[in-house]
Amino acid sequence: MLEMQNIGKKYDQKVVLENIDLEIKTGEIVSLLGPSGSGKTTLLNIILGLTQMDQGKIIFNGKDMSTVPMKKRGFNIVFQDYALFPHLNAYENIIYGLKNKKELVTKKELQEYIDFLGLNPHLNKKIGELSGGQKQRVALARTLVTKPEVLLLDEPLSALDGVIKESIKERIKSIAKEFDLTTIIVTHDPEEALTLSDKILIINQGNISQFGTPFEIINRPSNEFVKNFILKQLEIKRQNIYNLFSEKYA
Amino acid sequence: MLKVKLEIRAIYTIIVCLFAIFLILPLVVLFIRSFETSQGFTISNYLSILTNNDLMVSIWNSIKISSLTAVITTILAFLLSYTINFTRVTRPLKGAIQIGILIPMLLPTITYGFAIMYSFGNQGLLTKLFGRSFFEIYGFNGLLIGYCLYTLPPAFLLINNSFKYIDKKFIIVSKLMGDRTLRSFMNTIIRPLWGTLGGAFVLSFILSFTDFGIPASIGGSYSVVATQLYQVMLGSIPDFNNGAAIAVFMLIPAVFAVFLLQYLEKFNFHYDKLSEVELLQNRARDVVLGILSSSVLLSIFAIFAIMFVAPLVNSYPYDLTFTFKHFTDVFQSSDLVNVYKNSVIVALLTALFGTLTAFCAALLNVRTPIKGKEALDIFSMITNTVPGMVLGISYLLLFNNSSLKGTFAIIVLCTIIHYFTTPYLMAKNSLSKMNLSWEMTGELLGDSWFKTIRRVVIPNSFSTVLEMFSYYFMNAMVTISGIIFLVTATTSVVASKIKELQHFAKFNKVFVLSILIFFTNLFVKLLCDYFQKRRLKHN
Ligand SMILES: Nc1ncnc2c1ncn2[C@@H]1O[C@H](COP(=O)(O)OP(=O)(O)O)[C@@H](O)[C@H]1O
Ligand SMILES: [Mg+2]
Repeated sequence: MLEMQNIGKKYDQKVVLENIDLEIKTGEIVSLLGPSGSGKTTLLNIILGLTQMDQGKIIFNGKDMSTVPMKKRGFNIVFQDYALFPHLNAYENIIYGLKNKKELVTKKELQEYIDFLGLNPHLNKKIGELSGGQKQRVALARTLVTKPEVLLLDEPLSALDGVIKESIKERIKSIAKEFDLTTIIVTHDPEEALTLSDKILIINQGNISQFGTPFEIINRPSNEFVKNFILKQLEIKRQNIYNLFSEKYA
Repeated sequence: MLKVKLEIRAIYTIIVCLFAIFLILPLVVLFIRSFETSQGFTISNYLSILTNNDLMVSIWNSIKISSLTAVITTILAFLLSYTINFTRVTRPLKGAIQIGILIPMLLPTITYGFAIMYSFGNQGLLTKLFGRSFFEIYGFNGLLIGYCLYTLPPAFLLINNSFKYIDKKFIIVSKLMGDRTLRSFMNTIIRPLWGTLGGAFVLSFILSFTDFGIPASIGGSYSVVATQLYQVMLGSIPDFNNGAAIAVFMLIPAVFAVFLLQYLEKFNFHYDKLSEVELLQNRARDVVLGILSSSVLLSIFAIFAIMFVAPLVNSYPYDLTFTFKHFTDVFQSSDLVNVYKNSVIVALLTALFGTLTAFCAALLNVRTPIKGKEALDIFSMITNTVPGMVLGISYLLLFNNSSLKGTFAIIVLCTIIHYFTTPYLMAKNSLSKMNLSWEMTGELLGDSWFKTIRRVVIPNSFSTVLEMFSYYFMNAMVTISGIIFLVTATTSVVASKIKELQHFAKFNKVFVLSILIFFTNLFVKLLCDYFQKRRLKHN
């Protein structure tokens, strides 16, 4: 279980996060949802240990992580633009971390990860030769083989298009299930958040607007922001799609 | 696509002729002369170089000291860039490094030697301060310090710029993947910079190998190829043909370097996208690098400080009473005032026509479909290769009997060609980033080609044009290696005058003139920066 207690952060007097209090159960997928500039990335970086918080605590499985440095927390992240090393090929990128800790996974496990992400045909390709979806999967594999306790993803789908987006979404879900991996995902897209995660943390101007399951958010929005910003978008989308299809099948 | 208009073709023709006459032809003549002897065309000039022991020693000396300079400079430039980009050292220090490092660029290299003498010499400022002299400064040690001062700014600019293209996120990835410090450092910093570090090494090597000012002032008995070449050309028994052969020799490492640079370009990798990521806290790193960088910066200040002190006292270091005497002396000497005026005129003309030439060349290359525009890139590559001294000697050989001899025009032309590459690339870079359909749009709206260039393209490249102008101006003020063979009594400029004053040990005058150059350059640089800033605010 990952607990955040009253986390706050300022940048030069400007409050970026305040009163962040929540609990995430092991194996849950949680989305951080909010408009751009609301503080999602900052919160993710605080959990990772990259950015220092001004106040509050992070507790993981009963242990206070607040002052544990990034490297020792055992969390890992996939960045929005993947950050794959351009001078190494796909396979070399995947095993990058294993060079430092050989005992981390067995050969068989490694192959399982590669099979699971469908990367077998691409192992010898240079990073420049991979498509967006393939890069995403290589980056996921590279992070997963380090066996993180918590997986953090910053806007994992925003650089992908249509069909690939859906397939990566499914993979992320099945990874979390298969490895019972707590996963925290940053996104600004309500549809993505609501279809992908067990729970959604809606952030507005650095504060928690609502934290709940997709069902709760759709049926019991706790304030105007959730209604106007989050639900409105979905309704417009639904209307548009509805119009499209009803016209076609009219 | 835009049609090739008459005016485009006219500009192209002018530029190509300019380079044909003032770059290609002189080099061809140089090459021919290097084979010429009293017995007709033979390779005996080259053979005499190979058998001339003094000369071979000087070439070997040049190679040794330039390599050592290149190693030291590359490491120092890397440390400074690292401090600026990858540490949390306080901002004012970072700013001071970025500005302070440029000080040497505002001065002629020949001045460095005198500044070093006055700092480290027996009566030097630093020697006095520490109560003992550190080492013999004439010769190897002095040269090494001078070359490092000279090559550090350009190497720093190069590396610092590449640092901006390193994605800091990789450092975090590497940490999360469990890398130890060394592996992390190699993979996320050295590896992406490998090409640039190589480039900085090659650049520093070539600059030191071909510089004339530093060995002319502080070389002592340690002979290097630049001073040997000068001796052969303008010494007591001038031998132009033999000099031509030495100049061709000097060209060899330069040509080699250009190919090496192109090869190294392959090692540079380009990240798809950059992102701002916070640097990890690391006090030890910040403290160590902060101290190292400050020391480098302070050393530069310390060496040049004397230059500003010495001419303000009666007779350094014996009589330290304050006086303006040396300044008034210079201002009352019509000879020296004229020399300063000459320098400013040459620099202004160079900056004006140089910027015009480089801008037009880039414009033709990037934004018109004219046939043969590759020639412009080739010219730029050649000017990048040819050292100033070699170009100067070629001019001397070709134009010695023409009416161009002893004019400002030949000095201006030589300097424009010598420094062409950088402004040309600046203009190309900026022009290629602008929307390529502007000329077409302008034409559809009723503009002529010239009109669109004037109304749209130039206003949008204003900032680059200023940068080109100040680059040309500053280099024209300080260059000596290119023009030392071309100046005469009436066209003497400050840098060459300093060489003369050295003969009579008039060091105070040397420093006063250097200060004049320094502040003139500083003024022009600040003026250009000011206009650039104002422009940015407007947009
Ligand atoms: N390093 C920083 N320095 C100053 N302000 C920052 C920094 N990082 C983020 N901010 C500010 O904090 C706010 C939240 O940023 P961020 O967490 O990136 O938002 P999001 O990811 O939700 O778009 C923004 O207003 C941003 O400008
Ligand atoms: Mg963000």
